[in-house]
Amino acid sequence: MVVKVCVGSSCHLRGSYDVIEEMKRLIKKYGVEDKIDLQATFCVGNCTHGVSVLADEAIVHDANKDNCEELFLTQIYPLVK
Amino acid sequence: MALCLESGYTSLNKKNEELCGDRVESIVSGDYTTLVLADGLGSGVKANILSTLTSKILCTMVSNNIAIEDCVETILQSLPVCKVRGVAYSTFSVIHMNSRGQGYLFEFDNPQAILIRGCKCRDFDREGMEILGKTVYKTALDLQAGDIVVVMSDGVIHAGIGMTLNLGWQRPEVMEFLDNNVKPGMSARAVACLLAGVCNDLYLGKPGDDTTVAAVKVREKLNVSLMIGPPVDKSKDDFYISRFLSGEGKKVVCGGTSSQIVARHLKTSVRASFDFPDKDVPPIGFIDGIDLTTEGVLTMRRLLELSEKYVSTSDLTPKTFTKKDGASLLAQMLFEEATDVHFYVGQSINAAHQGLPIDITMKLKLVESLAANLKKMGKNVAIDYD
Repeated sequence: MVVKVCVGSSCHLRGSYDVIEEMKRLIKKYGVEDKIDLQATFCVGNCTHGVSVLADEAIVHDANKDNCEELFLTQIYPLVK
Repeated sequence: MALCLESGYTSLNKKNEELCGDRVESIVSGDYTTLVLADGLGSGVKANILSTLTSKILCTMVSNNIAIEDCVETILQSLPVCKVRGVAYSTFSVIHMNSRGQGYLFEFDNPQAILIRGCKCRDFDREGMEILGKTVYKTALDLQAGDIVVVMSDGVIHAGIGMTLNLGWQRPEVMEFLDNNVKPGMSARAVACLLAGVCNDLYLGKPGDDTTVAAVKVREKLNVSLMIGPPVDKSKDDFYISRFLSGEGKKVVCGGTSSQIVARHLKTSVRASFDFPDKDVPPIGFIDGIDLTTEGVLTMRRLLELSEKYVSTSDLTPKTFTKKDGASLLAQMLFEEATDVHFYVGQSINAAHQGLPIDITMKLKLVESLAANLKKMGKNVAIDYD
């Protein structure tokens, strides 16, 4: 699956960089490097709930570096086939 | 290809002086650019007055095609006589040429000008002429695209005397340094700053004399069109984008939404890069057919900071940008490569940005300040608000 982290202005201000670093770490931690393709994307139109993360079609709201692991485990990891 | 001239200079003040005794004055009048570098006798206030008078008078007169003899006579009669030294004196170098590189160079007592052609230095073939007992050297200029004329005050060849070097470095060493360090595509300002920077190093950061380098380059025009922000009227997106794309030269798109509508118009997609060469500047993107795609307001803000440094005539940070973040890439393209910049500013409001430091008023303000700095750099700037 493809996971895209929004790096639009609004999300960038809210910490896209940290979320990307955290995602890289989590993907390695849970051993799904060959299952998840991590990418960046410009504004996904979900600015009020940034940082936005797209897991294929599913959108994950309000990500930040502290809740990243929780969101990853509840909303992204279960979608990995 | 249409040619044009660009010019730039960097000045270092003698240590502990607030005023520089060197002065660069330039006027663009029609197809002709006139640039004067004058170095007044002494330093501080006195030198500043002498060089200011000399450069202003010369620049105005020469740009109006008045014979050099008359210009020199006017200066000699107008300069105040120094009480200590009993003379009225200021050196000068005058470049007066059109956009095809044809014109004249006049020199009086400044270090001899250097011609940089194909990144290699050479001398001008100059001839002396007597004007009121002074020897003024005259060179008929017939330059090619890419040629750079470098003029300087004597602070350049005196750099380092008694500090890092016993006798300073001489003109041949200055030329050798330029041979080794001037890169193709460097702007006039970048070359001036490069040479002034090494002088400052030789002086160990405490110049023993006012030091000024000015350069004029004959170059090809390059137009850059920059779109930032989507237009207010969504139904006309395609109209605005085809207008933006129809211009000549390079194309830049700044902003997430803007890049999406441009990509849609070009029937392709935006790919965002994953690299953060600089943590504070969002990553760039890629659209086939667009030369550079970046994020909007945050990148602009950094770009404005870079432009402040770039226009400062005393700032010695190198003027070429090698970093790979969006703002540095934009700076290289707009400051160093472009001669004409056309902004297409969309005024559509992104509701999610209001209240954040990235809202529409901020964006408009940034574009305005940036445009002002680009004008200071000598660029032709146009702005369309859509």
